[in-house]
Amino acid sequence: MNNVVIELQNVKKIYKMDGVETHALRGVDLQIKKEEFVAIMGPSGSGKSTLLHMIGALDKPTSGKVILDGVDISTMRESDLARMRGKKIGIVFQFFNLHPTLTALENIELPMIVVEKDKKERQQKARELLKAVGLEHRAHHFPSQMSGGEEQRIAIARALANDPEIILADELTGNLDTKTKAEIMDFLLKLQKEKKMTVTVITHEPEIAQYAEKIVHIVDGRIKVGG
Amino acid sequence: MKFADIFKLSLNSLTHRGLRSWLTILGIIIGVAAVIAMLSISAGMSQNMQAQFSSFGTDVLTVSAGRTRAFGPEGGFGDRFQPGSSQSGTSGQTSQTTTTPTLTDKDILAISTADGIETVTGVISGRSTVQYLAQTVTVTVEGVDPAAWNTMTTSQLALGRFLELGDGNSVLVGNSIANGMFNYNLTENTPIRIGSKTFIIVGILKQSGTGSFGGDDRTIFMTIPAARQIVTGLDTDQYSSIQIKITDTNAVDQITQNVDQVLYSSRQVTADTADFTVTSPTSMLETIQSTMATLTFFLTGIAAISLLVGAIGIANTMFMSVMERTRLIGILKSIGTRNSEIMKLFITESGIIGLMGGLLGIFLGFIVVGVISSVGINIMGMGRMGTGTNTSVAVVTPELILFALLFSTIIGIISGLIPARKAANLQIVEAMRSE
Ligand SMILES: Nc1ncnc2c1ncn2[C@@H]1O[C@H](COP(=O)(O)OP(=O)(O)OP(=O)(O)O)[C@@H](O)[C@H]1O
Ligand SMILES: [Mg+2]
Repeated sequence: MNNVVIELQNVKKIYKMDGVETHALRGVDLQIKKEEFVAIMGPSGSGKSTLLHMIGALDKPTSGKVILDGVDISTMRESDLARMRGKKIGIVFQFFNLHPTLTALENIELPMIVVEKDKKERQQKARELLKAVGLEHRAHHFPSQMSGGEEQRIAIARALANDPEIILADELTGNLDTKTKAEIMDFLLKLQKEKKMTVTVITHEPEIAQYAEKIVHIVDGRIKVGG
Repeated sequence: MKFADIFKLSLNSLTHRGLRSWLTILGIIIGVAAVIAMLSISAGMSQNMQAQFSSFGTDVLTVSAGRTRAFGPEGGFGDRFQPGSSQSGTSGQTSQTTTTPTLTDKDILAISTADGIETVTGVISGRSTVQYLAQTVTVTVEGVDPAAWNTMTTSQLALGRFLELGDGNSVLVGNSIANGMFNYNLTENTPIRIGSKTFIIVGILKQSGTGSFGGDDRTIFMTIPAARQIVTGLDTDQYSSIQIKITDTNAVDQITQNVDQVLYSSRQVTADTADFTVTSPTSMLETIQSTMATLTFFLTGIAAISLLVGAIGIANTMFMSVMERTRLIGILKSIGTRNSEIMKLFITESGIIGLMGGLLGIFLGFIVVGVISSVGINIMGMGRMGTGTNTSVAVVTPELILFALLFSTIIGIISGLIPARKAANLQIVEAMRSE
């Protein structure tokens, strides 16, 4: 049976800036299976973030195919793709994930507002998630009133709001202390097991990569096999 | 995303930008207030002017001597509204007529032969001193033929009766003269001294707000023989003007031509050398209306420029707002927000700015209009106009308010269109790279 959630087929990404071409991905084939915990590792500039953007359907490849739940995203309309992203994928970026003029609670609620969930339901869910990340006492704080670690935990809670199939995180714990890192990773691992989610994280830290069942090494836009 | 939520998010970002939002709104407030003030002042002015010239029904033509007093484009329209002295027009007109009187019984006779004429009557007008108790003022005095005048005027009686044929020393007094001009108000049977003769008041007119052609608030009416004793300089067969009641108001233009024709031949002049002018209420109104239209256009144009500046302010603010929130737009898109929703978000924001500006602009406009109505009347050169209870300098209509609200909202939306498109078309990955 086919339990592949995301499949990349010969994906290339070329950035053109001021006439200069940057080959960020040079033909990547990748399959991420359901309930898999994958870590993407590689040197700076190797194309990790670019790869994650492809997986999360945040950007379109220059060539090649991205297939999400059996659907080639290049065939989808922008509005459908956007909604699918909102419902199936939860993304956490390295910095500044939150809406600056909404409170922690409102930030968690936001993805549910986007996909037009019922108001009662979404408010209850937002409170649950806030509790789950242990930040109930920060419900009415704005992002600027929280610490970096707290912000990231709110961002994770927000990524979970629509019960996505896939959680993607780019350097989730990059600028946090070791203790907080461990806390966040433990939380993510627990969630992945509980909710049977697919998790893909980018990291350059081996300690973080330990959590993963599968490590994808990327060097200069290519996946290094057997790394 | 539901529109209610889009609206809330827009409002959220507007309120969080506090002062900057208000400054942008201020631009629209000033523009809308200026437009409201200009439009309503124009409307008020034209209402007043129309009221001024309708003291006779639409079925009355007036013949006056000379060409310079014509209500044509090159006519003396302007000097009726010289700042500070609305009466100077009347006195100027009278002195001109009395020094070069050219309308006589012969003209009345000629006019009565034209088609479409019901009644023709001569009118004598001039200025005279009026004394009551210890006070003396100077007002306009008109000598009229009661039989004809009573059928032509639109003025109504407040007290007493109209003039009658044999009234030798009876007068009918305009409302503003009776009430307020003297320390003690005039009433029926009060004797007053006009020139060197004593008259008895038989009637007082209602306030009409109308102008110098008849049922005037600041005119005293008497019979023609009486007026000849007060207004000097006119021979016994001469008149200051001639009033004609026509049979068919739908044929005003035709009957005006008929009158022109009979006077051309009786006075032995041509259209080019004509030394008289026939005016109809409609021709006056047309002139007034076209003058007012030009004025309105001009004033509103100036106001519209300030509104345009406000609109540019909105566009500028929205562009800045898109730039500042590039990363936020990326985040919103990454959690599933559609391009069309991003677009709506920004357009709603600029629309709210426009709407708020419109609402507060109307409010400010009201204040400006109120201040101008009470203070600015004399500045506008319309001293007479403010006196009528039924006249106002500025008129704010519900349509105007609705229009202003709609218009300012649309301005907001249009100003936000390009910035919103820019926001909607941002690529997520690009947006996320901006700090
Ligand atoms: N929007 C862009 N325009 C132009 N070049 C880009 C763009 N995004 C990425 N690149 C280039 O593509 C290459 C891969 O970038 P990417 O961000 O995927 O690297 P990375 O592996 O995530 O690096 P890091 O660990 O530093 O985050 C780099 O050379 C980068 O400069
Ligand atoms: Mg990166």
